[in-house]
Amino acid sequence: MVNADLLTGLPQEEAERVLALGKRLVLTSGAELFHLGDVADCIYLLVRGRLRLTLPMQVRSKEEDVFVEERSSGQTVGWSALIPPYRFTLTATASLETELLSLPREALKSYFAAHPETGYAVSLNLSSIIGNRLQLFQAMWLREIQRMVELRCA
Amino acid sequence: MEMLLMGVCLSMFGLAVCCLAFGAATREPEPITVAPPAMQKEAVKAAVAPTRFFVDPQPLPVAAYSRVPIEALLLQIENHVRLEHAAAECFLESPNPSLLHSRTISTLVN
Repeated sequence: MVNADLLTGLPQEEAERVLALGKRLVLTSGAELFHLGDVADCIYLLVRGRLRLTLPMQVRSKEEDVFVEERSSGQTVGWSALIPPYRFTLTATASLETELLSLPREALKSYFAAHPETGYAVSLNLSSIIGNRLQLFQAMWLREIQRMVELRCA
Repeated sequence: MEMLLMGVCLSMFGLAVCCLAFGAATREPEPITVAPPAMQKEAVKAAVAPTRFFVDPQPLPVAAYSRVPIEALLLQIENHVRLEHAAAECFLESPNPSLLHSRTISTLVN
């Protein structure tokens, strides 16, 4: 778990100290970790298994959870816990039995206040995770717009 | 006498067939009425042979999509998102316009 994307670049002992702030939890297949709009108090590192991230969409006048992204071991989920207004913007469900490490925001904030270098490294990693999501969805969005334009001009 | 009558009947029948054939061969063609361009287009469309199912699948009409079970539709959406995700990742690895607008095989948009 020390090579989780959130802890990249940290010395092993330091990464282990951050991990020690967390609590392990296991989700059975199909169990929901968090729901869109829930208060986000914890950020999660995936130890094993898979999480489906979904958003609600109207399909034939019925609300359905539509697949957005999938996260696997070593990846971070629920960074809304570190970004105001601290509300989850997606729903996360275990695709199969999944083990996670939940890191409470308050524990992380206190630790980073006492160890600013660690806080800085983790913040950079978090920026990279968020930036990657932004770039991916920006490209996906533009592809859809391009398709719409082609349909309009056809 | 009977033979003579039979010969006359056969001759009359043969003559009738010849007359019909001659009439058909020498009949003037019916005048062709020129249809307006829109109607011509329609005629051309109607004359096009239907595509074979394994050569060029026709897009499903909207009514057909509404008959697709919702689970199948959700799977189509998921497949589409995964393909778009992969295409976006390719673009981010080597950003250029052709990768950004690469074609998809997703059944949701094709």
